[in-house]
Amino acid sequence: MTHLTGFDIFTWIASFLVNGTLAIILFVRGRARSFPFFTAYILEQVVDAIVAYFVILHAAALTYQKYSWTAASIEEMLKLCVFYEVAVHVFCPTGSWARDVRKAFLVLICLSVVIAVLLTWLAHPYAPRFIQTQILRGNFFSSVLLSELCVGMVVLSGTVGLPWKTHVARIAQGLGAYSLARVGILTIQNVVGIHGGRHIITRTSHVNDSIYIACALYWVVMLWAEAPATRELPAAMKMQIYTLNRQVENDLRRIRTWRQH
Amino acid sequence: MRNLYFVLLAVLLLVALTATLIRFYLRHRRSAETSWQDLVHRLVWIDRDAIATIALDAVTDEGELRPHGDCFALDSGVIWNLLGGLEGLEVIERNCQVLVELATYLQRFYPEALVVAEQLRLNAREIEWHVSRLKGAAQTGNLEASFANYAQRAVVIYYMMTRHVLTLYDQAQFPGLPELQQAI
Repeated sequence: MTHLTGFDIFTWIASFLVNGTLAIILFVRGRARSFPFFTAYILEQVVDAIVAYFVILHAAALTYQKYSWTAASIEEMLKLCVFYEVAVHVFCPTGSWARDVRKAFLVLICLSVVIAVLLTWLAHPYAPRFIQTQILRGNFFSSVLLSELCVGMVVLSGTVGLPWKTHVARIAQGLGAYSLARVGILTIQNVVGIHGGRHIITRTSHVNDSIYIACALYWVVMLWAEAPATRELPAAMKMQIYTLNRQVENDLRRIRTWRQH
Repeated sequence: MRNLYFVLLAVLLLVALTATLIRFYLRHRRSAETSWQDLVHRLVWIDRDAIATIALDAVTDEGELRPHGDCFALDSGVIWNLLGGLEGLEVIERNCQVLVELATYLQRFYPEALVVAEQLRLNAREIEWHVSRLKGAAQTGNLEASFANYAQRAVVIYYMMTRHVLTLYDQAQFPGLPELQQAI
């Protein structure tokens, strides 16, 4: 059984309440349909807060570590899914992947994985148990990867000129900021390692939890608010625009086949 | 030693990522605050008659490829002079970016115009690609051979794009149309 400090209990309650509120907002405001992976990630956070509380209080330290490893793995997988979901919203404006983005997006993923693997290979944290070392390194790897992917996505969309919708941008901002902060925190944890006192690990974990709560609060406010109102396109103009689009496509098809003449 | 490299590289990566994120965030904010007038003022003047001459050498007014024997009469030298060389193409490239932002500006009010805005964005990217090929050819000394093909193609796309954007704004009855007509 692990002893919980006052701050541990505060962050547990705050995190549970903020995540619960966010989950309700996602369903009430109808955002869950547009962001199923993000909704799943927030629901996982709610469930994890409940389960972790009982595991910490009633299970052995090793069981808690195993649970922590499993929960962290699920959480990181879901975060990657959220990244993919945001990428689809940004890079598939008309329903399919923009053709000038596909290759660059694949390069971004490969490069991010390579850099994250190399940095994680360099990390050599000290911990009494093997599983603790793997948790520290695994968390560091996923944070570096997600940070690179989020920043890369911002750079790529800015370079090719693809706009962000309001709620997509807010989700990405929160996720990106949290991941970047985690890279700093986990760098410290990987350097210091888990020693007998666990002083720095505990402090940095508190900072990590506080930053997550701040990000989740940001999501609560931003996802509650509606996106700026748009004007409805008159039916006649809609038809004209689609005709215009067909004309542009035909023009381009002809121009591209010049070589064959 | 390994720990030292780890810390150095991790800090370096963190600083680089944060700086990049802040730079692009500020750029995005500036772009979101840009007014219609600011965008139009960013368009660089280009001889529209010269653009039309180069484009209509390859396509008809309706955008159809001219019949065999009636097209591609202009040689590289003439196109080079009409366009003002690579600098002229770079002006087109910059104007294309502004045109995409103009389409996005319209999209803010009418999100259903997204498909056309996306098509215009892709066109601009295609022109960028043609210009980059020409820049590459200039570096390897093969500019003359590539110029007529890539430059004329980029000019035709630009010409069609400007016409489509004007039509789009005309259909949307957007108040800035006369200003845009003058600028492009």
